[in-house]
Amino acid sequence: MSTPMSTHAVHPVHSSEPLLSVRDLRVTFGRRGEQPFKAVDGISFDVRPGQTVGLVGESGCGKSVTSLAIMGLLPTRGNTVEGSAVFDGEDLLRLSPGQMRDRRGREIAMIFQDPLSSLNPVVQIGRQVTEVMERHQGLSRKEAMPKAAELLERVGIPDPKARLVNYPHQLSGGMRQRALIAMALACKPRLLIADEPTTALDVTIQAQILALLKELVVETGTALVMITHDLGVVAGLCDEVNVLYGGRIVERGDRHTLFSRPRHPYTVGLLNSIPRLDAPRGEALSPIPGSVADNLPWDSACAFAPRCPNALDVCVQQTPEWEGDDVVGLRCFNPMGVSR
Amino acid sequence: MSGSTGLDPAHDTRTGAPGEVLVEVSGLEVHFPIKRGVVFDRTVGHVRAVDGVDLTIRRGETYGLVGESGCGKSTLGKAILNLEPPTAGSVLFDGVDIASLKGEALRRERKRFQMVFQDPMSSLDPRQTVEALLLEGMRAHGLDTDASATHTRLRELMSAVGLPPSGLKKYPHEFSGGQRQRIGIARALSVGPDLIVADEPVSALDVSIQAQVINLLQDLQEELGLTYLVVAHDLAVVRHISDRIGVMYLGGLVEESEAGELYDVPLHPYTRALMSAVPVPDPEVEDSREQILLTGDLPSPANPPTGCRFHTRCPWRQETLCDTERPQLRVVDVAGSSPGHRVACHWAEEIARGEIERHEVAPETTDESSWGAPRDDGSPFLAPDGPPVP
Amino acid sequence: MTPTPELPPERTTYAERRSQRIDALASASAAEEGGVSLIKSAWRRLRRNPVFLVGLAITVAFIALALVAPWLAPWDPAARPLLDDVRPQSNPVPGPEAGHPLGADDKGRDLLSRLLVGSQQTLLVGVLATFFGLLGGLVLGTLAGAVGGWIDSLVMRIVDVMLSIPSLLLAFTLAALATRPSQWTLIIAIATVQVPIFARLLRGSMLAQRASDHVLAARSLGVKQRAIVFRHMLPNALGPVIVQATLVLAVAIIDAAALSFLGLGNPDDRRPEWGQMLGKAQPFLGEAPHLAFYPAACIIVVALGFTLMGESLREALDPKTRR
Ligand SMILES: Nc1ncnc2c1ncn2[C@@H]1O[C@H](COP(=O)(O)OP(=O)(O)OP(=O)(O)O)[C@@H](O)[C@H]1O
Ligand SMILES: Nc1ncnc2c1ncn2[C@@H]1O[C@H](COP(=O)(O)OP(=O)(O)OP(=O)(O)O)[C@@H](O)[C@H]1O
Ligand code: SF4
Ligand code: SF4
Ligand SMILES: [Mg+2]
Ligand SMILES: [Mg+2]
Repeated sequence: MSTPMSTHAVHPVHSSEPLLSVRDLRVTFGRRGEQPFKAVDGISFDVRPGQTVGLVGESGCGKSVTSLAIMGLLPTRGNTVEGSAVFDGEDLLRLSPGQMRDRRGREIAMIFQDPLSSLNPVVQIGRQVTEVMERHQGLSRKEAMPKAAELLERVGIPDPKARLVNYPHQLSGGMRQRALIAMALACKPRLLIADEPTTALDVTIQAQILALLKELVVETGTALVMITHDLGVVAGLCDEVNVLYGGRIVERGDRHTLFSRPRHPYTVGLLNSIPRLDAPRGEALSPIPGSVADNLPWDSACAFAPRCPNALDVCVQQTPEWEGDDVVGLRCFNPMGVSR
Repeated sequence: MSGSTGLDPAHDTRTGAPGEVLVEVSGLEVHFPIKRGVVFDRTVGHVRAVDGVDLTIRRGETYGLVGESGCGKSTLGKAILNLEPPTAGSVLFDGVDIASLKGEALRRERKRFQMVFQDPMSSLDPRQTVEALLLEGMRAHGLDTDASATHTRLRELMSAVGLPPSGLKKYPHEFSGGQRQRIGIARALSVGPDLIVADEPVSALDVSIQAQVINLLQDLQEELGLTYLVVAHDLAVVRHISDRIGVMYLGGLVEESEAGELYDVPLHPYTRALMSAVPVPDPEVEDSREQILLTGDLPSPANPPTGCRFHTRCPWRQETLCDTERPQLRVVDVAGSSPGHRVACHWAEEIARGEIERHEVAPETTDESSWGAPRDDGSPFLAPDGPPVP
Repeated sequence: MTPTPELPPERTTYAERRSQRIDALASASAAEEGGVSLIKSAWRRLRRNPVFLVGLAITVAFIALALVAPWLAPWDPAARPLLDDVRPQSNPVPGPEAGHPLGADDKGRDLLSRLLVGSQQTLLVGVLATFFGLLGGLVLGTLAGAVGGWIDSLVMRIVDVMLSIPSLLLAFTLAALATRPSQWTLIIAIATVQVPIFARLLRGSMLAQRASDHVLAARSLGVKQRAIVFRHMLPNALGPVIVQATLVLAVAIIDAAALSFLGLGNPDDRRPEWGQMLGKAQPFLGEAPHLAFYPAACIIVVALGFTLMGESLREALDPKTRR
């Protein structure tokens, strides 16, 4: 099989120790007097060096909260975080804010959906890139500037020297996202978390950014956690895919298995409800009925049950437990048996 | 969601047979002045959002418009409905030039063409109940004379878009995103239009909800014989719901074709790049796909490139013609292409036959400062070279 | 004996039953309470906000006191029951004594009664000034925001000029122009100063409304211009203006106090007003600071009440916090 763009041939992913190991992560929001809201409800996954792990799911399923919790970027009040996120032998959730700040940017970096609001509008691009290097690598600004230009060139920004003195608003959306990636890469992080890095961009720009991320993973061996709602993006980029629903992982598998033999009714529903550019025309879409507002609580049922075509009586009486390991797994009483 | 929508076709004023031309747009232009100055506003240039578009939409068909953000899709949609007054050109709707209508005459004509918006929350007045929202258009066109008929009509509208009648008494914020979009569709239907312009009707919705709304739009079209102009950036969605597709780049149409053919035989280099960039949820396809990665970004519509607007990024660009002459939409004679397939490229035949090789493009070092401020404030001024004034 | 064939698991039925149940629930709850408007949902959030509750408590207490003050006050504010105790040199301001918990002022009038009755004037001036300011601003702002064009330019130029003068100075000048100072000069001066603030605010939010999708939607429906302005634009633009009015009330009360303090308000001190009381306490700051302290404290607390309420209202109506 020729896989010119896949990344997993380069790094034997399952042989190495996990770089990041998230176990039973729970994030509960709730102010006094309000019903507590479980945004993330027991999520576990592993990321190995050089591996790209995808977290997919619809709006509100807890993707961003998961990544923010790992990065220690949730607001300090109004939420509780439980579980563990062991990075290189250290539980990130137990680190002090100061220690976490030290890891952020140097060993773990994050890219956000909205590049404009994650850049400082009144500081030149060059300064923003060098700042990271100055802080974490102890370089002087003079030493860092040429490196910053190199980085900008590396992420495909034309005429990087001239761009160093530009302000964020002088760059287009795609350029800003590249600049953010450059900043994230400035200290050669071992783990990169990308939260919908291309959602705000056009498809042609998205293709550029995704190609760039792929290349980086292959070349630097950085582990990548890719958060997106776009199954197409996942299909091309991720080694392992986790499908989230209502704050829990409902299905996991390597991308080839997951897309050719999806087993969870939600995964199947998602795949059947999006039109494909290469499918024959004229086929009606089969949407998932209802909306996430219909969800049941995971404590005593399958949250997806009200929308699930396979639902059994047991689905509303019991929580489907996770069956599987850190490579493949499923959370369902009555999965789809046959290949699509 | 299939079956009868419950809407009484007798209520609608549609006449004419399917297949005849309903909308004929010619030479349409919308230019926004760029103003600068503290005391006196000076016009320092124009954003050529729509810059010379010709297209026809036939009764009963769905015409899809695709293109990158900022290429002028929404502006074209609004200009066709004269919600954004065109700078030049005409829009013949059933023989009447909407572009030249004004005031009361235009207002009265509006019941025949409606719009569905991208953001279902912001396009519904938060202070009105659903009932008030649906009644408003009917009242404006004197369609609410009989109280009991109006009552039935409201219920029919709700059931046509799959909402319970109890929703009439509620406010928009009490509904989910998909339900709000249904309300937006019901409102458009309330005056019995022939044409509905849907601007990104599903892009604000959750993936699992998108299909519900797409199917609803298709069912309503079948039931009521509606004509759609669907504006979207998602090629897969547009291909799924459209009969014909127009591809826009920087204010102009670069290719127009029957939906299936556009994917099978894309003729314009931009269309090819666009198609190849759309991710497909299938790892096998993704791994074997040959991508045409474009370099650089969309040039500023305030200062579009000369000649072919795409020549700054085109991997097939030639030394002659491309940067000097603007190609017109024309029918080309290549295998697999039908007479309805038009493309605006000087070298379309040669590219289709493989006579011209694709080549690397050095990213253009255009002056990005002309990108201006974020668009949300509605005033794209030329950005100064310093930091923005807070 | 053949084993009974295993029944196939009950497939789609649950989902169907469940969605029917949801529909039934939805229609039942809809029948019960109808729609919950934005105001109602904002109120639900406000009810739990301590800042708002404190502001509301102060405001309500103040208004209630002002309304019943004449009956509550133990003495007529103009009567001079302690006149006999006033000794211009040794004891110019009689202190507290039985029946006069706060003592009296330099003319022997019961201080508590004057404070209570004074709240009426303060409330009247504050409310009327804000009301007239709001009214003027509403007319100008709607005109500018809905009509646009040269009317807009003209109105905004005038507004800009007025805003460039410090508001207290402008109010002072206007009040000083009056031949006979009275509470009406106060009200008119302060209202005039508020007009440009309201006009500018309203025009801004009208313009935002004009560009909004729901107004575009109404236009595309063919709704008449007048209905669009009064049904869609104005009601949605008013939110921030109403909030501003609460905040302006606090400013109006302080401004009114300041002007009265300077002697530009009602000169007749038989009808007390807090600012005026403060002004008249000036000569006795050394001997009897409490004479200035009480009205000053009242002004501050009431202004604080309105400000707290206004700020939390602003927060509650902010679209970003809406759900
Ligand atoms: N600070 C917060 N306080 C309260 N609830 C929150 C907060 N942040 C997130 N949530 C809730 O947590 C849930 C998960 O949010 P999250 O942002 O992780 O979703 P997501 O999967 O990233 O969705 P999207 O695709 O829209 O970004 C949502 O229902 C959201 O409303
Ligand atoms: N009211 C306006 N005033 C000035 N410029 C405008 C205005 N509306 C749109 N534009 C400009 O016109 C161009 C086309 O905008 P338009 O909204 O039609 O793009 P679009 O194709 O719909 O993009 P998107 O996919 O982002 O919605 C953009 O460059 C935009 O900045
Ligand atoms: S557990 Fe039951 S309800 Fe949940 S997805 Fe599986 S079959 Fe459907
Ligand atoms: S005309 Fe030239 S630049 Fe334009 S698309 Fe064709 S080949 Fe490319
Ligand atoms: Mg998110
Ligand atoms: Mg648009």
